[in-house]
Amino acid sequence: MATEKRHFVCVVCPIGCEIDVVHDGSKIISMEGSKCKKSEEFVSQELVEPMRILTTTVRIQGSRWPVIAVRTDKSVPKRLFPRIMRQLKRIKLEAPVNILDVVVRDIIGTGANIIATRTMPRE
Amino acid sequence: MIMEADVAVIGSGPAGLTAAIHAHKSGARKVLLLEREEELGGILKQCIHNGFGLEQFKQDYTGPEYAERLIKDLEKTDVQYFLNTLVTDLSSDRVITALSPEHGTLEIKVKSIVLAMGCRERTRGSIGISGTRPAGILTAGVAQRFVNIDGYLPGKEIVILGSGDIGLIMARRLTLEGAKVIGVYEIMNYTGGLKRNIVQCLNDFDIPLYLSHTVTEIRGKERVEGVVVARVDSNFHPVEESEKLIKCDTLLLSVGLIPENELSKKAGVELSATTRGPVTTEIMETSIPGIFTCGNVSTVFDLVDYVAQTGAAAGDCAARYASGGLSGSRKSVDIVAGENVRLLFPLRYGFQDDLVLFIRAMEPVEKPVTIEVAPLDSKINRPYARPNEMLRLKISKGKLAEVKQPIRVSIREK
Repeated sequence: MATEKRHFVCVVCPIGCEIDVVHDGSKIISMEGSKCKKSEEFVSQELVEPMRILTTTVRIQGSRWPVIAVRTDKSVPKRLFPRIMRQLKRIKLEAPVNILDVVVRDIIGTGANIIATRTMPRE
Repeated sequence: MIMEADVAVIGSGPAGLTAAIHAHKSGARKVLLLEREEELGGILKQCIHNGFGLEQFKQDYTGPEYAERLIKDLEKTDVQYFLNTLVTDLSSDRVITALSPEHGTLEIKVKSIVLAMGCRERTRGSIGISGTRPAGILTAGVAQRFVNIDGYLPGKEIVILGSGDIGLIMARRLTLEGAKVIGVYEIMNYTGGLKRNIVQCLNDFDIPLYLSHTVTEIRGKERVEGVVVARVDSNFHPVEESEKLIKCDTLLLSVGLIPENELSKKAGVELSATTRGPVTTEIMETSIPGIFTCGNVSTVFDLVDYVAQTGAAAGDCAARYASGGLSGSRKSVDIVAGENVRLLFPLRYGFQDDLVLFIRAMEPVEKPVTIEVAPLDSKINRPYARPNEMLRLKISKGKLAEVKQPIRVSIREK
């Protein structure tokens, strides 16, 4: 495959390094603008399959608020976000829930768990 | 009820929580934390996205996780906190009046105070959009609260005016929840929010961003039916021929934040026209000795790490003041904006501590810049200067000891 030039903004941290990369489809030929190892890893991953942490809410009952904040416990393919959201719409938790409790194990086979990101006492 | 305390902190967001923890750590014996809502944590509770605490804790927390970490630290101390407690008055001799359903009227005499009330969103009124007044016009932060805490979607077809971070984050959030975000319109020719949010909130979801555009009219009777958008010229005047009606049921506003200083005004604290917060020194002390400030009530910061950093300084210094460790000279010099500087924090240097300076550029410079801090001859280099990303630098106390005239900060192309 011919070489291709691509431009990325790293989203690992708020600095947002602008990175220019040249690759040939299987390996990276050159990379410029990255200031840390994490952003190099980010770009390598971005070329193959963009991965993100998904943060959202799910329904809960028996608590002060009707929803509770949750996230995936590791990055998942960005393209699977709509499917994960559809899956999460089907569930309803029961308070109490503690922060970092696993609320769905291995969501749609991604290997990532959905965990609570706050404590929700029973009321 | 009449009470006394060493330090009282008003507001329990990231700034207030950090200030209370630090006041305790620095030896204040009785520390009170006053919160008007029913839970600690302030705005963090509704900021369910990640990216918090990368600098401070080297962790990628969501807002609620970051808040719970601070709350856990707070609960290890004997800081006493009052929820549902609204501070209604503050005097220059440091008497706080507060209302609480549990305790009735509280009158609290304290040795030092930390103001940590945060900021508010600018509304339709502050930017003056013409048209009707239907339902469906709300600020991005209110929408965030509706979706993330109260659990309902405020609209289905959404236009966002302004590219502040909360607006960008809500563009993603509403899209995930099944709403259609038609576009984000920004009057400036650069974005208001962090670049990473343009990427992961807009680009990731193919949401278009229109720079140099604004909303000129809102239409609809009971509910928003559409908005008129237009390109603006270099003087920010809408170009009439470019006006276009966009059908939507909701308009979100993400057009800036204003420090919430109603209480500071009551105490007679000097406020700055540029930061919209109290004029402070590097130890976060306002114009009234013993009254300190931190976080977004001081000036609107980009990152929670910066907010917490000012909270730590304010808490430490409030404790020092309460124990008599800060009395003495209050000589200070002003810190003033030079070339290409829109905003500085703090605005005074009081010769007590190292100076951590936050600088916001006036115009973006996409090439290496030098930050000059006159009369010092030290020049600090940065790869670029952007209005949406504060620059931060630290100057040691030793270097500043001999300074007599105002400190002038400039950003120049290298």
